[in-house]
Amino acid sequence: MKLSDRVQDGVVVLEPKGKIMGGPDASLLHDKLYDYIKQNKKKVVVDLAQVDWMNSTGLGILISGYTTLRNNDGMLKLANVTDKIQSLLTITKLISVFDAYDSVDDAISAFK
Amino acid sequence: MDTELITTLVSLLAGGLLLYLAITITRDNFENRLNRVTGSMLFFAGLAPLFLALGSIVQQPEAGVTTLPDSPLYQLHTIWELFFPTLLLFAMLFPVDRLREFKQSRLRTLVFVPQIMHLIIMLFFGNINRMLAMVELDPSREGFTTIVLKPFSYLFTGVLLLIGFIRSYEQVIFDVVNLLYVGIAVYFLETGSRYLREPRLLNQTRTVLWGTRLALGLYSAAVVMVHLFSKEIAPQYIAATQLGSVVAGVAIFGYAIIRHQFLDVQLVFRQSFIYTIAMAILVGGYVVMGMQAKEMLTPLFGARAELVSYVFLIFVLLLFQPISSWLDNLIRSMFIRTRTDYRAIIERFSRQVISVFDPHQLRQTIEETLKTALLVENVYFVLYDDSVGEYTLLPDELSSHRVIIDRDDLMLRGINLLDAPTHYSLLNEYEESSKLAELLKERKVKLILTMKDAQHLLGFLAVTQKAAGYRYSAEDFNLLGVLSNQMVTALTNARLYVESLERLRLQEEVNMARQIQLDLLPSSPPDLPCSVICASSIPSRTVGGDFYDFVPTRDGKRMGIVIADASGKGMPAALMMAQIQAMIRSEVSNGTPIPTMMSNMNQQVTHSTSAEKYVTLFYGELDKETGTFEFANAGHNYPVLVRENGQIELLEAGGPIIGAFSFVSYTSASVQLRPKDLLFFFTDGLSEAMDAQGTEYGEERIRKFVSERRNEAPNAIMQMILDDVRTHDPSQPPQDDTTIIALKMHDHPGVLR
Repeated sequence: MKLSDRVQDGVVVLEPKGKIMGGPDASLLHDKLYDYIKQNKKKVVVDLAQVDWMNSTGLGILISGYTTLRNNDGMLKLANVTDKIQSLLTITKLISVFDAYDSVDDAISAFK
Repeated sequence: MDTELITTLVSLLAGGLLLYLAITITRDNFENRLNRVTGSMLFFAGLAPLFLALGSIVQQPEAGVTTLPDSPLYQLHTIWELFFPTLLLFAMLFPVDRLREFKQSRLRTLVFVPQIMHLIIMLFFGNINRMLAMVELDPSREGFTTIVLKPFSYLFTGVLLLIGFIRSYEQVIFDVVNLLYVGIAVYFLETGSRYLREPRLLNQTRTVLWGTRLALGLYSAAVVMVHLFSKEIAPQYIAATQLGSVVAGVAIFGYAIIRHQFLDVQLVFRQSFIYTIAMAILVGGYVVMGMQAKEMLTPLFGARAELVSYVFLIFVLLLFQPISSWLDNLIRSMFIRTRTDYRAIIERFSRQVISVFDPHQLRQTIEETLKTALLVENVYFVLYDDSVGEYTLLPDELSSHRVIIDRDDLMLRGINLLDAPTHYSLLNEYEESSKLAELLKERKVKLILTMKDAQHLLGFLAVTQKAAGYRYSAEDFNLLGVLSNQMVTALTNARLYVESLERLRLQEEVNMARQIQLDLLPSSPPDLPCSVICASSIPSRTVGGDFYDFVPTRDGKRMGIVIADASGKGMPAALMMAQIQAMIRSEVSNGTPIPTMMSNMNQQVTHSTSAEKYVTLFYGELDKETGTFEFANAGHNYPVLVRENGQIELLEAGGPIIGAFSFVSYTSASVQLRPKDLLFFFTDGLSEAMDAQGTEYGEERIRKFVSERRNEAPNAIMQMILDDVRTHDPSQPPQDDTTIIALKMHDHPGVLR
């Protein structure tokens, strides 16, 4: 997984690319989130448009990110959830926990 | 043969050898102060036997001719006494350099004052009376000049009288001074040797110390005999004692150089030194034999004896080459041991390190080799530590913990650029705000020896100066370069070995986890009146967290069925499954309603593990009499209910995965099972089995497959779908754990309502 990040309208947008599969991916996302939390930027959108695949450990990473932000009075929202991840979120019933939006802009405006 | 001739020959030989030693030691490493001081000491020591020999050669008494010892020029021989101050300086430098801390370095030249005074007195004040007469004033001519000069005249007279006194007792006075120097020097040598720990240096010191004791003991005995107690002793005994001291001195220094690499004198020099000695002995032997032959042959051949002796000499010379080779080999085998040969060091080192896999032992071997072969005082290791992913300075006498070096440290970057052993002083441009540079300076590091494989810096050795401050030669650098290559191989081997041990350990852990999982699975499915159940769980190569179980309720009316999959693999997943099983069994035996049971489990798992560890779990209870199936699905793949007519229902109701969020809640739902209904449970190992193109087997296909085969027996359906999945994804063992439970209601389960 490659991870790029930017801030748009005061909201952190994380853009993972490739497969989210645990191992070093976990610390990559975790470290990035903590960097932003330290800067008091706690509104985060994870743009999943370029994520091809996610295994159970990958899902764990998202859950961990969500929990980390929640515990720090922040919020994580998902954008551009692909069909495959949508079905994973549906089966695991996490779709009811994660706020998922069709686009990054939608997700950002949901914060306002 | 004449004793005096032998004494003269031996004196010449010993003196020559001492001068030879002095020149070569100084030339071999002129930069080093110890070499210069030792060279000077041996040079002055060599002058003594040379003057002795010179004296006996020229001293042949011939009537009416002034002998050499009477000439003022001969007084120059006292110059050899400079040996004593140089001996004192030597003892202050070796084996412990005491002069390094001595701030007033110019003051050390004061040790030469008594001997130089002696020389001046002997050279210029031979005739004191004549000089006294020169400064004496005429009392009859009193006047202004006389009055002014008078005090100076008294002063000069006083000084000259003092010098005259010294002159008449010069031997006793300066012998006492010299003996005093000897005493102090031996004291310094003795005390200095107590600070030594390095075995080779200790051997060197012991040898030099014994030689010095012997030589100076003999010399002192000769001096005491002659000048302090009695002058009646035969001159040849005194000469023999003095000569013995000189010969002992030469021999012991030579021995220390050859055997113990004293002063780190190079191999080439040691070989030529031995060769010179061998030749000197051989040629000397031939000369003596030639002279003896002439003496023996004269009575027989008269005037022709000289001719015959030449013939004899030619005959002997024919044997010269074989004997000289034999002598050379003998001495070489006696003294030049393989340990001083660089090639032997490399051979021995590579032999040792090839069989060492323990990193700690390997470091010891490297340290020992550098200390014994190169006389390195200390070695520090900075190695890449896989466990922390950083370079670390290993614990040493200054720090009991390893020190992690920042990967951006400027000095570390500088060292990374090196390709060969390099003087640390050449790296000063990288010292700015470098913690590593501080650490290295604190340890007085002189050399950096990097260990690099094709791409990476495995680490480096920080080497201090050589014992007793010897310099590093070009040959040392070559040797260090070769050794560092060997170290790279050895370190890589050791690392691979540690990795293979780690792999073994992990494999054992995986095996243990797998065993835990196997033990958790029920040995056989339950025997129910209403239905047939069968189950299968095929573990993948690594242990995943698939789990299934059958748990009867407390009242015995219902049968609980659980299928679950923990995120992650290995021991954590296996332990989590064990935890889930224990919780389910306890909740079921307490008769807890299903939604509460799911909530309780979620709370416990959420609080006992990190957020990314979770379980997808399906739990349902089948009423054996009524066929009602109440269930809750916590984020697990939807089990498929295939009705007799082929209609499919998915068991979705429940809540999110267990262990991720504490704030979620669960519901349960019920379905009524009817005769011939098929319930099919599975884990994602089945649905996500991938073919070579990356296409998943998929839930849709599972549903269609089981629906089409709904009339088959449950174990047949199970086997067929497993076969079909294996055709789709032939990887063996499967990429993920694959678990299936199939439940088929009987055709006529009479009890069902």
